[in-house]
Amino acid sequence: MRGKKPPASISMHEKEFEMNNAKRNITFLTDVCLITCIVQRGLGDTIVQAARDAGAHGATVYFARGSGVRERLGMLGVAVEVEKEVVNIVVATEQMNVVFDNVFLAGQLDTPGMGFMYVTPLEKAATYIPPEVLHKWGIGEKVSP
Amino acid sequence: MPSIRYGQYLRDTTLVAQSISYNKLAPGITRDTQGKIIPYVAQRIRLQGVDIYRLLKNYTKDRFLEQVKAVLPLAIYMSLFQIFILNRIVEPALSITFGMIGVIIGLMLFIEGLMQGLMPFGETIGNLLPKKSSLPSVLMIAFLLGVGVTFAEPAIGALKTAGQIVSVEKAPYLFALLNDWSGALVLMVGGGVGLAAVLGTLRFLYDWSLKPLIYLSVIPALLVTLYALNDPELEKILGLAWDCGGVTTGPVTVPLVLALGIGIASSAGKGNTKLSGFGIVTLASLFPVIGVMALAIYVRETVPVATILAAANPVATPVGDLPWHETSPGSDIVLGMRAILPLVAFLMLVLRVMLREKIANAGVVTYGIILTLLGMCIFNLGLTHGLSSLGAQTGGLLPGAFTHIPAMEESPLYLYLLGLMIVLLFSWLLGFGATLAEPALNALGVTVENLTQGVFKKQALIRSVSLGVAFGMAIGVAKIIFDLALAHLLIPAYLLALVLTHFSTEEFVNIGWDSAGVTTGPITVPLVLSIGLGVGGAVGVVEGFGILAVASICPIISVLSMGLLAKYRAGRNAREEAACVDIHA
Repeated sequence: MRGKKPPASISMHEKEFEMNNAKRNITFLTDVCLITCIVQRGLGDTIVQAARDAGAHGATVYFARGSGVRERLGMLGVAVEVEKEVVNIVVATEQMNVVFDNVFLAGQLDTPGMGFMYVTPLEKAATYIPPEVLHKWGIGEKVSP
Repeated sequence: MPSIRYGQYLRDTTLVAQSISYNKLAPGITRDTQGKIIPYVAQRIRLQGVDIYRLLKNYTKDRFLEQVKAVLPLAIYMSLFQIFILNRIVEPALSITFGMIGVIIGLMLFIEGLMQGLMPFGETIGNLLPKKSSLPSVLMIAFLLGVGVTFAEPAIGALKTAGQIVSVEKAPYLFALLNDWSGALVLMVGGGVGLAAVLGTLRFLYDWSLKPLIYLSVIPALLVTLYALNDPELEKILGLAWDCGGVTTGPVTVPLVLALGIGIASSAGKGNTKLSGFGIVTLASLFPVIGVMALAIYVRETVPVATILAAANPVATPVGDLPWHETSPGSDIVLGMRAILPLVAFLMLVLRVMLREKIANAGVVTYGIILTLLGMCIFNLGLTHGLSSLGAQTGGLLPGAFTHIPAMEESPLYLYLLGLMIVLLFSWLLGFGATLAEPALNALGVTVENLTQGVFKKQALIRSVSLGVAFGMAIGVAKIIFDLALAHLLIPAYLLALVLTHFSTEEFVNIGWDSAGVTTGPITVPLVLSIGLGVGGAVGVVEGFGILAVASICPIISVLSMGLLAKYRAGRNAREEAACVDIHA
């Protein structure tokens, strides 16, 4: 154990900050947009794969329940799952069209009941960015190879 | 020279992109004379061939693969074992293959039909019934529903098949129960399930502890077993009675009874405890034992052996031209209809006459009921020609590994001890594999992990249940081979389980006792029953029941002991931590 005990009220975050004793950086990503794709339960992985194939870095999937076309398909409505998966993919604006098209085709969204997708512009985003990538664009300190 | 990827080229030339404003597509609002909005009704969508194909492909693929995953590994395992270890090809291969496909498709249709057709009934009735009727009539409906679902349980057909193999001379009362009295038998099992549904509902309402209910149902069942031990004729029925418990806890009973119970509890504003869903499975597998034994004692007291033999003789002689509804395709379909239609009629009656309600989405429900019917008939066909046939065949050849059997001229294939080991190992692996693959067990594992805040890991539960079933299967097969008395195995095992129950916490009692019911699905039950009867027939013992019974109690013991162990470890860790704190302070 260290000799000096941190005060009890200090949070983990602050403690870490103090121990590193260094400035911390946050790099905002601009020119990002969010592609949201809603498909039937079980098909989310296809969507994620299609998005990654087109260059998306990752995706978030959550479960939901939807309605709409199902009620208008008559007897075949039973073939459409009520339970849905919502796939959120954050991409660069220049990637947006390629990813969008690829996801649309992979999800067969041109068939009624298969799903719905849209793009939302995002103001800014932030996440982990590898230091060497940052350095390449003149941000941050030089990384020893 | 600029280069372009071929994929990009294809996309650019085939994907035609245009835009249209949503404003043009959105429907305009129409108002009536008072200025209120008239609700907009969307038009039906016209589907093209390719769309129908895509929708149906998605719809069927997962449901089909789910059943394939359950059936195929077992079928392959048994066929390979028979070919390479027992040196016998599976025959008639074509008919068994078609039977297996029947089982897969039948089960797929049946489960989907259940979800679309019967579950909405259960939920609607569960929600509405307590609001419109008094508690006694609610319990009455729960009881009748319990009886109805037992008839609709797909594995119950396996009992009928099993009855045809039992020899009337060796075990007249067992034969009588499975043939002449088979209706009454299923009714008694159903009565047991009905009683379990009533008690389960009351448990939902009043948050009873499961422990006293277990004592109250296990002790009478053991007493009946002890009584039967004194009577050589009744003793032969014990295996059947205890096996019936496993048959009842299948894909129809558990969800429907639970749906009713949850509906009743939630409309009473109770049943929020996490454990209230458990327990019904346990009770539904214990009460039928008492019911079946009661029926057996009644038949034993009233019908002399001579009557049974006389009644059985015309059946025993093969008659060339049976009516269509008693030979294979016809009888399977009749059996399927008889299983589903009464349940549907009963649910309809309750809904329309007692509740005066219409079912929402009548079209979908009708579709579901038709699927259930179709699935049950196809499943029964597959059961007769595929699953039971394969099980009986492998079971019949198994003893050839260590002893001489008439069906196999070159038997025994191996030295006595080696052959015996092979047979027991086969049963062990069959139990282990079949349980490990059971999807219901996986679901239970997730629940358990949440309930115990991660103390009892999902994998730990799956492993301990699978090990329990594996040892249970091996012991069960050994019981048949050595013709051990089932009571001598079951009574100590259940007493041990009772002792463990006494020391376990409420959570583990619920989980442990229910884990046994989870493992006896619609594929395992017929397979295990027919293997048991096959082995029994080959070594010439009176009856081949009892494997399921032993395979049900073993996981209870293993899960309860695992629970106690986990509790002990958690307690020790807590003490150690406390000790550490003391030192540092």
